[in-house]
Parts: sequence; C-alpha cells; structure tokens
Amino acid sequence: MTNIVSLQKVTKDYGEGDALTHALRGVDLMVEAGEFTAMAGPSGSGKSTLLNIIGGLDRPTAGRVEVDGREINTLSKTDLSLLRRDRIGFIFQSYNLIPVLTALENAEYVLMLQGIPNAERRERVREVLKEVGLEGLENRYPRQLSGGQQQRVAIARAIVSEPALVLADEPTANVDSDTGKSLLDLMRRLNETKGVTFFFSTHEEAVMKRARRLLQIRDGVIFNDQAH
Amino acid sequence: MIVRLAWRSIWRNRRRTLITIISIGFGLACTVFFIAIAEGVYAQFIDQVVRMQAGHITLESPRYRSGPAVDIWFEAPESLRSQIERLPQVERTKLIILGQGIARSASGDVSVTLMGIEPSVELHTSPVVRHMVEGRYLNNQDGPWVVIGSGLAKRLKLGVGKKMVITTNDIAGNLVDELCRVRGIFKTGSVEIDGYFIQAPIAFARRLFDLPEEGATQLGVVLKTPQAQEAVLQKTRTMVSQQDIAVLPWQEVIPEIASYIKLDRGSNLIFQAILVFLILFTIFNTILMSVLERQREFAVVLALGTNPLLLRLQILMESVYLGLIGCALGLVVGGLAAWAVQVWGIDLSSLLEKGFTISGFAVSTKMHARVTIGLLLGTGGLVFAATLILSLIPMHRATRLSIVDQLR
Ligand SMILES: Nc1ncnc2c1ncn2[C@@H]1O[C@H](COP(=O)(O)OP(=O)(O)O)[C@@H](O)[C@H]1O
Ligand SMILES: [Mg+2]
Repeated sequence: MTNIVSLQKVTKDYGEGDALTHALRGVDLMVEAGEFTAMAGPSGSGKSTLLNIIGGLDRPTAGRVEVDGREINTLSKTDLSLLRRDRIGFIFQSYNLIPVLTALENAEYVLMLQGIPNAERRERVREVLKEVGLEGLENRYPRQLSGGQQQRVAIARAIVSEPALVLADEPTANVDSDTGKSLLDLMRRLNETKGVTFFFSTHEEAVMKRARRLLQIRDGVIFNDQAH
Repeated sequence: MIVRLAWRSIWRNRRRTLITIISIGFGLACTVFFIAIAEGVYAQFIDQVVRMQAGHITLESPRYRSGPAVDIWFEAPESLRSQIERLPQVERTKLIILGQGIARSASGDVSVTLMGIEPSVELHTSPVVRHMVEGRYLNNQDGPWVVIGSGLAKRLKLGVGKKMVITTNDIAGNLVDELCRVRGIFKTGSVEIDGYFIQAPIAFARRLFDLPEEGATQLGVVLKTPQAQEAVLQKTRTMVSQQDIAVLPWQEVIPEIASYIKLDRGSNLIFQAILVFLILFTIFNTILMSVLERQREFAVVLALGTNPLLLRLQILMESVYLGLIGCALGLVVGGLAAWAVQVWGIDLSSLLEKGFTISGFAVSTKMHARVTIGLLLGTGGLVFAATLILSLIPMHRATRLSIVDQLR
C-alpha cells in the first residue's frame, strides 16, 4: 500500500513568550491509501492544527510532512494551492458552502478550478450528487438546504475531483446525532465502494466507533493508534 | 463561473449594491450635467462676444495690440477676404473700425467707443441686432446714422432721429467732428455696452477717421463651428505670411474673457472634484465592506485551491459590474438632462432679472447646455477607472488573509 500521509516529529507552536502554545509536540503518523481513520481528542488537543498541516493550509514549526509523496516544506504557496486543488478534498465543520452558488455549482467548484470542460463537469457532479443522496436538490441554494443536506453537498464537493485524501474536521459536530450517523455511513460507503481515503477528526463516541482506525490525541501528542 | 459568482455576489446585498450604483450614477450625472451647462454657457457667450467683436479669428496690424488705436490700421484687400471666405469652415468675415471719441448732444457729452461696421454683415452676426428696443438697426443705405445703447441715449437725452456730434482724432491726429443721427437704440443688459458703445456704418467711420478705402482696424473671421478655429488659424496665417498682418485667435484679442472662462472652469473643477471624491469614498467603503464581511468565504475557496489571482479577478469583476451599471445610469440620466437643456434651454430671466455680465459682456439669460461625446466618455471613463482603482486595495486584502485563522 502507498503512503498518502507521512509525518515525522511534527511540532507546531503558536505565539511566543508567555503566550507560547505547543499545539503539536512531535507527531509521527502514516496514513495509507484507502484508510478510513478517525482522530479523537478533546477540544484544544490539536486536531484542527494537525489537519491544517496535513492539508497544506499551515506549515509545521518543525518536522517533516509528506502528502501524496511531496514534502510540504519544499513547496511554494502556489504549489501548495495546486496540491490542495488536485489531491486533497476538504470537509469543514460548518459546511462552508458558497452561498451564492447552487448545490450543483458548489459541488462543481473544484472541477471548474481544474479547468474541466462544462459538459464533463456537469455529468460527474450529477452522478456524485446522486451518490450522496441529493438527487432533485441540485438547483437549491445552501440556505434552502438543511444542515445535513449542506454537509452532503460539502462531501460531494470534496470527493468529486477524486482526491488522494479527504480531510474532514469534525464533520458531524454541527448536526444532530442521527444526521451525523447517516453522514458517517455515507463517507464509509464512499470509502468502501470507491476507495476514497478519509481522515477525520471528532470528539464523539458514536463517530469513533465507526472508524476503521482510531487515533487518540491529547495535548498535541498521539498516544493511541488502533485498528477496529 | 467566476463571472456568475461575481454577478450573484453583488446582488447578495441588494440594498448596498443599489446604494453604490446610485452613488456612482448620481455623482456622474451631476458632473456631466454641470459641466455641460457650464460649457454651454461658455460656448454661447463666446459665440456672442466674437460675433459682436472681431470674430473667432482676427486679422489686424501686428502693432495694434501694443497700442490699440485707430491710427494702427491696416489694409484688408477684398481679394484676401474672399480667399478666407472660400474656406469651408468660415461662415463670413467682417470688417470693423474701432476708435474712441466723444459723443455730444445738447444735454452733455460722453466718451464712447465707436465701431464702424458693415451693416449687411452685422445683420447676420451681431447680437446687437437682436437687442434693438427703439428704431431699427443700420442698413447699407444708411449714411451718417448710428445706433446707440439705451444708457447712452438716456445720458444724452436722445431718441430715434435725433442729432448728435462725434468728436475724435483722425489717423493723422487732427481733431475732427461729424454730425450724425440716431437710427436705433439697443439694450443688451451690459452697462458698458449700453452706456458707452456706438455702431456706425463703416463708410461713416472711414470719413470720420480719414481712413482710405479697404482700411480698417480689424478683419474678423466668424466660423461655422468653433472647433475649426485652429485649422482656419493655420490656413489664414499661411495666406498672409508675406504681408504685414497679424492673425490672432479670439483668446488673444479678448484675453479677459479667455482667462475668465479658464478661471471659472477651474473653480467648477474643484467643486466637481469634491463631489466625485465624496462619492468615491462611499464606493470605496462599500467595496471594502463587502470584501471584509466575506473573508471566511474567501478563506474557504482559497483552501479549496483557488488561485488567489482568480479570487482577485472575481472581486475586480464585481467592481466592473458596479462601475458599468453606475456609469451607464449616470451617463443616461446626466446626459439626458443636459441634452434636454441643450435642446430646450433654461430661461433664467425670472431668476436674474437684470441679467449678468462677464467682463462687461452681457450673457444671455437663456442657457443652453453643451453635451459632447468627449464629455460623456471622459467623465464616464474617469469615474469607471476610479471605481476599479478603488477596488484594488480591497482586492488585495481579500487574498492576503490567513486561511487558517479565518476558518477557525
Ligand atoms: N492561531 C492560533 N494562535 C494561537 N493558538 C492557537 C492557534 N490555533 C490553535 N491554537 C491553540 O493550539 C491548541 C490546539 O488547537 P486546535 O488544533 O484548534 O485543537 P482542536 O481542534 O483539537 O480543538 C489550542 O490550545 C489552541 O488554543
Ligand atoms: Mg478543532
């Protein structure tokens, strides 16, 4: 199996002097293609920080970060932007859809950035929206959708470009537990049928249970790593 | 898609967008309207003055300006006149003799400016003709007859048909006088012209000043359109290059008017600049606000891998839309309003019952605006460009944000 993510002794500090915070204190981690991994930990344990670093949104203070075979530290801002566009899908806690675009257009957005022709774009997006259970809602704007539906659009947006890795920061934290469960079922199914690699954070028991691999993080250190 | 995004984004806050568009439109409309009115007044005024005086372009002795007097006369041959009149941009030429003298009646005497004119030409050009209040204007058959202003008529207690004597020095310096009669009385609204200005047939003036046939102080060229001035000036200068004749634009013949207009334009410009500045400030604010409140959204699209340049392009497009709609609105409203005033005019005689004068020349109280494509494109382009320039700072702000901080 190929390594999608490889972290060695990654640390991240915020602030300086009295305000100095060690958000990550030496994280070593490998994620392989096809994994469905959850990272659990209390609030402030460093989950978002770690996801941001893996996603190329932030740089580590020290340590080595490799994503899809590329060393983050050697990449320019533009290269990082391209890496995110082409190889990584993002799902955020608060959906973060573009309010002036319809469900279809939101899901289409990354393909548009990639310069994929209109017709092909539409076809792929429709298929994916169907897959996430939004058939018939393609032309709704985010404000016309429920939280769960919006997060489905976000999932469609993240996977439609077939990235090597989908990062999700507490994707179920903003929805009720039933909706959260069905979102997780959806991601799990996409992982199993299409081989999408998911790496997500959570602090909910129910979510942890559905992961195939569970990492536990506290105070910026991963102290437990087990397969389910 | 960026185009769509930009278009939909500006309509997200409909109220703010409308306010922005209306400010752009209103500012531009006001600017266009006021400049058009001012330009219309200038053009109308210049036209009247040059027609009454020595034309858009004046031919005279090169020494006349340094000591304007009737003894600095020159010879304007008929052949030169017809050569100039053959130029397509020329409406007509007018020969004048300008001198000083004293007008005397039984009731007193007044120092006056006497202008010898060709009645048949002047009938078509001079605003004096339109301002006759008693008697009639001169014609070519009139011998020792003059028209005088209402102020002068009052001072000398003269009516139509009454006698007066003009005393002056002829070109040799001899003291001479001539008897003449009043053919008509005009009232232009200008104290200087109505009180101290006399017109007489040019033949009478020649006899008075003892000038030869074809002798005059000025040959004026009246143009069909003022825009032709530079071209005609060049051509006329070539025609007289071998002769001892100066060819001057009206700006040099009546410099006080040219500088008045320049000054007036300048002060208008300051007023307009302040107006435009205030409006640009509103635009800047709304664009900046619309960018600042979307920082999180921008962070999301940047996180998804949007090229920052593309994001800037989107914000620029939003300003392009605002600018285009606003400028179109402003040009249509301002242009139509000004155009209406150009066609129908505004009669200000009720507001300005006494009329007003610039450097002693009466200004018509009926104002006509002057809208030109140049004015519309110039002001519109300027405001549009300013809108785009103002969006550069917000545009820059949008892509300089920290994605991680915005998404937290
Ligand atoms: N931009 C920042 N500046 C300062 N401190 C930060 C910043 N981001 C995160 N931290 C700190 O780093 C630690 C880890 O935060 P985070 O990764 O957001 O935790 P989690 O996502 O697990 O709740 C926390 O103590 C948080 O206060
Ligand atoms: Mg977090």
